[in-house]
Amino acid sequence: MLEQQSAGAGASGETQTPARGRRSIDRRTLQTLVTFSVLLLMCLVFTLLSSRFLTLSNFQNLMRNTAPLAIAGCGMTAIMIARGIDLSVGSVLAASTVLAASLAVSGVPLYLAFAIALVFGALVGFVNGTIIARLHVSAIIVTLGMLNIARGIAYLISPSAILVGLPPNWSDLGTGKIWVFPLPIVVALVVVAGFHWLTSYSKFGKRIYAIGGNEEAARLSGINVQRTLVLLYALCGLTAALAGLVLSSRVGSGDPNIGIGFELQVIAAVIIGGTSLSGGEGRILGTVIGALIIGVLSNGLNLAGVEPFWQYVAQGLVLIAAVIIDSRVNEGVLKLGRK
Amino acid sequence: MGEAGAVAPEPLLRVSGLSKTFPGVRALRAVDFDLQPGEVHCLIGENGAGKSTLVKILAGVQTADEGTILLGGEQVSFATPLAAQDAGIACIFQELNVVGGLTVAENIMLGAEPGRFGAVDRKRSEASARALLDSVGFHDLMTSRLCSDLSSAEKQAVMIAKALRQNARIIIMDEPSSPLEELEVRKLYEVIARLKAAGKGIIYVSHKMREIDELGDRITVFKDGARVATVHRGEAGSEDLVRMMVGRQLTEMFPPKDRKPGDVVLRVKGLTGPRVRDIDIELRAGEILGIAGLVGAGRTELLRTIFGADQRLAGAIELDGKPVPPNSIPAAITAGLSLVPEERRSQGIVPVLGVGDNASFVWDEFPRQRSDTANRNETATRIIQKLAVKTLGLSQRISALSGGNQQKVVLGKWLSIDTRVVLLDEPTRGVDIGAKREIYRIIDDLARRGLGVVLVSSELPELLGLVDRLVVLNRGVVVGELPGTASEEAVIAMSMLHTARSGLDTRAAS
Repeated sequence: MLEQQSAGAGASGETQTPARGRRSIDRRTLQTLVTFSVLLLMCLVFTLLSSRFLTLSNFQNLMRNTAPLAIAGCGMTAIMIARGIDLSVGSVLAASTVLAASLAVSGVPLYLAFAIALVFGALVGFVNGTIIARLHVSAIIVTLGMLNIARGIAYLISPSAILVGLPPNWSDLGTGKIWVFPLPIVVALVVVAGFHWLTSYSKFGKRIYAIGGNEEAARLSGINVQRTLVLLYALCGLTAALAGLVLSSRVGSGDPNIGIGFELQVIAAVIIGGTSLSGGEGRILGTVIGALIIGVLSNGLNLAGVEPFWQYVAQGLVLIAAVIIDSRVNEGVLKLGRK
Repeated sequence: MGEAGAVAPEPLLRVSGLSKTFPGVRALRAVDFDLQPGEVHCLIGENGAGKSTLVKILAGVQTADEGTILLGGEQVSFATPLAAQDAGIACIFQELNVVGGLTVAENIMLGAEPGRFGAVDRKRSEASARALLDSVGFHDLMTSRLCSDLSSAEKQAVMIAKALRQNARIIIMDEPSSPLEELEVRKLYEVIARLKAAGKGIIYVSHKMREIDELGDRITVFKDGARVATVHRGEAGSEDLVRMMVGRQLTEMFPPKDRKPGDVVLRVKGLTGPRVRDIDIELRAGEILGIAGLVGAGRTELLRTIFGADQRLAGAIELDGKPVPPNSIPAAITAGLSLVPEERRSQGIVPVLGVGDNASFVWDEFPRQRSDTANRNETATRIIQKLAVKTLGLSQRISALSGGNQQKVVLGKWLSIDTRVVLLDEPTRGVDIGAKREIYRIIDDLARRGLGVVLVSSELPELLGLVDRLVVLNRGVVVGELPGTASEEAVIAMSMLHTARSGLDTRAAS
């Protein structure tokens, strides 16, 4: 190597101006702000396109629809900060909701059925994490396998949607309200707050950034990498199961077909939110914005009367555009930072 | 550059008035420089002094703001590295850019494969590669080997052969001897002699005074982006050069060895790991123990096995009389061991995180061992002040710091907890001379505070300059011990003399 990446960066060791430091601190915040302005811009456009967009009921609806994405996105963000990935969340979501539904139909109290479903989700994640961390198998392969396994389990529990015999309070979680706030939003907020604290302020959070940034350096600093990873995947399974319960409670069924392709939406939300695929970077608030962008997009396009097939195209375009904008902002800030 | 003009009328390369400004930094200030055919011209200076910028401009990685580059009397300017290559300038950087999945021959011939209709004529390709390697004396490097399997020295050979294939007239080498062992360095010098004899001009960037003395026909010293002086071999001693580089007189490079080792703090008995066997070592508090040996002797593996990063297959480790549980890094740290790993970038730092986070990993992880009760930021700040890390602040990305400052953070994080023995693996690799000296002071200070220090270094002057005692490894076993006053020759002799015996030992054991 030449001893610095560039003479500019190298000289920074010797010549220091406070202004540079301040900019480099602001980089991540700026990223979040840019994503947030994109969200606001989208809201503005849809407000102009449809008079029904900017109404309380539509917003409640929108938030309710976005909540599962945000909930599962929290677990996924934490994993992706640690440079992992979990492709099984859609299937885990389905398996745990079908499990909860079948338990509820057979007379298990609802709260217990929900609790068992959450434990199931965490357990699947635990298995994912154990194989990935202890046997050193690639996360993509392990969770791709689990995507099939969990989907299979969902069909094995019930080959078709469970609609009949669900207790009447099945729908409470998905449709209930606290004042004007739909219950799914409250649940999502609690999860988001928890994960924000976890990633930004806890010791566990410091570990996952270190592992994502350089696993070997983390290990040599005495961080128990294996245990941290296992815990991360278990958490991700848990949030996937919770997202599934919120979703199916709103839909009013336990359907083994639910959540096909959901993992890709979750990953899209995380990436739109600025979490890097190469690990070590990312924030929960970014993911929330990413989930909202996806939510607003489908809601707004619906209201504007755009065909559903075009929504897929739009979502794909937004994902690619987000990553391009993100890298441009990054480059721009780094360049500015040299001044 | 009057003294240079007298040597030959037509230099290979003449650079005049070259300037380059980065926002806020004048990286090069009106630099003049020339290179004769068959000459080794050394560039020295501290990190950020400008030598890298000059090299990058010549290599087409960056473009100059002002000034001219005359190549064989013709004015040139390189927009891309490819343009520089085509003009006959080859670069051998420390990061050896070989393609791991290709063979030696394929790498050498990459981009100019013989053959037609899109098919590569493998025989001709291998033959050409063979001839190129032979021409610089690498007779025993097989052209069919995969580059991912090669050692640093062998990768360098591939790069040099490739430079010759491209008909390079000027070869730029950036600290080529850093990843090499003594013997390999000798070989490199021979190769350089052959390149000189073939009329190539060589620009040689180095931090090592000894090799500058040995290799440099001329030496150009940089400081703060400007050329301080260009001297012929023998015109200036090492001390003069160092003074020109740092702009002040450096006192002794190494701290005095008047430390008084205390009781045994670390006792290693019969330690066997994947690459080391039956190691017995005792280390005293306040002692610096060196580990010498050739590449592959098991020095790094010894440190890693002690630290629990490599598997301990047999043997016992005691720290202050208490056994250290095997195969657990957290347990080793709790017992009082710490490690500064060999590869700073891939093992030492978390590049995307800030200086503060990087300084706090072990403080976060081992709350019961914290050596002071201050909060996280105060602790990190104290480390940074104590070790004089040059940084804009705790939130600056560590990857923006110079190598020496990064290394200080990697070392400094262990000062935030109670530790008894520090294992240092090549702590000054890729670090400039000023920072090296600072790191030597830090190591000395650790020992004076009663810690045990185990030091692995491929630079013998550094090893001998610091240690109280030296253990020599060969093929994973201890072949002898020498006092800190031993000569370099004695260390090299011991590293090699026992090869046959320990080789037999290894075979007998397996």
